[in-house]
Amino acid sequence: MNAMLAPNDYKSALKPIWCPGCGDFGVVQALYRALSAVGRPPHEIAFISGIGCSSRIPGYTTAYGFNSVHGRALPIAQGVKLANPDLLVVVAGGDGDGFSIGGGHVPHAIRRNVDLTYLVMDNQVYGLTKGQLSPTSPRGLKTVTSPQGSLEQPINPLLTVLAYGAGFVAQATPADMPGMTGLVEEALRYPGFAFVNIQSPCVTFGEEEQQLRAHKARMKPLASLGHDTSNQLAALDLARAYGTELYTGVFYRNPVPPPTYDALIRQRQTDLQQGEPPPRARVLDAYLRA
Amino acid sequence: MAPTIGIDFERLTLRDALDLAVLIEEEARDRYREFAEQLTAHDTPEVADFFTRMARIEERHRSELFERRRTLFGDAPSGVERRQLFEVEAPGYDEARAFMGVRQALEIVLAAEVKAYTFFNEALPRVKDPELRGLFQELRDEEVHHQALVKTELARCPEKPDDSEAYADDPVAQ
Repeated sequence: MNAMLAPNDYKSALKPIWCPGCGDFGVVQALYRALSAVGRPPHEIAFISGIGCSSRIPGYTTAYGFNSVHGRALPIAQGVKLANPDLLVVVAGGDGDGFSIGGGHVPHAIRRNVDLTYLVMDNQVYGLTKGQLSPTSPRGLKTVTSPQGSLEQPINPLLTVLAYGAGFVAQATPADMPGMTGLVEEALRYPGFAFVNIQSPCVTFGEEEQQLRAHKARMKPLASLGHDTSNQLAALDLARAYGTELYTGVFYRNPVPPPTYDALIRQRQTDLQQGEPPPRARVLDAYLRA
Repeated sequence: MAPTIGIDFERLTLRDALDLAVLIEEEARDRYREFAEQLTAHDTPEVADFFTRMARIEERHRSELFERRRTLFGDAPSGVERRQLFEVEAPGYDEARAFMGVRQALEIVLAAEVKAYTFFNEALPRVKDPELRGLFQELRDEEVHHQALVKTELARCPEKPDDSEAYADDPVAQ
């Protein structure tokens, strides 16, 4: 245990304005604890978010933060990490920010394997804008934009990131605070792109069966099923149950994490600095011929 | 769900047990403060005041236990940390609601006191040291006393319709 940094050292003076009962209160508490366990001081951490209720998280921490534009948290976070690879970069946002407007950025952040921790607070609805359908809303959900019930098939965030090759994929719920804290800590420590889908219910616009009380009754820890977290195919199979079963824990953890993009970039820079610089004339010739 | 991690009740010292009790009260105090802030921000001042009062009560319990610890063990470092605790006496974040009534708030507090009682009661069989057992029994019985106080308050508090759902806007065309 690190005696130097307590969870409250990561808590800013700004008071969260989430609705009382919101799952995000638990998420931010789990984050403070996980950061305290990891032990990196706030000035070595950057929180990057997009837009949405959960994207307010950077303001509630003492770390560096950028509450950026809708759906653009991942590209900004990749830039931050590449500019300063020593930072611990955490991306936080909702399912709409991550899998609707920002959905196009997810595969590229994963295939590059930039060392980021991506926490998606999946509440299956656009809560900030008063309850419209989001990409993970279940079929049949009645909202202001689907008064007769949604006709759309929801995106499965777990299958999506597993299929793109994420090295660490987990799911948590604030209904299990110790479990969620441990998963966030594990994700922060994973060397590469780590994804945690947090089923964080919207207390105002969410369905009753999506609330934490229901989670407590429904959740099934993957560890209790004897799931082998190094088995990617088994992880894919379990991830298919998103929306019907509430599995919590690590779905997949690459037992041999590949080099991260930021490490490869650093290596390339070192190689170039060590090698003989090309004569200026040769560079100019090559340019003129091209 | 275990509300603590990494705490071995069989090996707990009296000093660590007192520190644990202090942290449990501190966690509850902080949660009630947070509830008070949340409900102030969401136009529920009567319940915000109630939670502020609860935070003061938990702070009083905390400081009493802290003084006892200091008298016995001075400033010796603690073997337990706040991050090892998960809502032992503190209510869960999902319990609060905008526009909730005082009666609902009292029910939350009662459930929290019952939760704390269960924690000490379930820990007791694992505690072997007689002095420590005495402390745990005392802390458990305190929770019974607190429950009785809350029940008295509840009996005085009129039943009021739950209007917390008024917070959610009905679906309407935008």
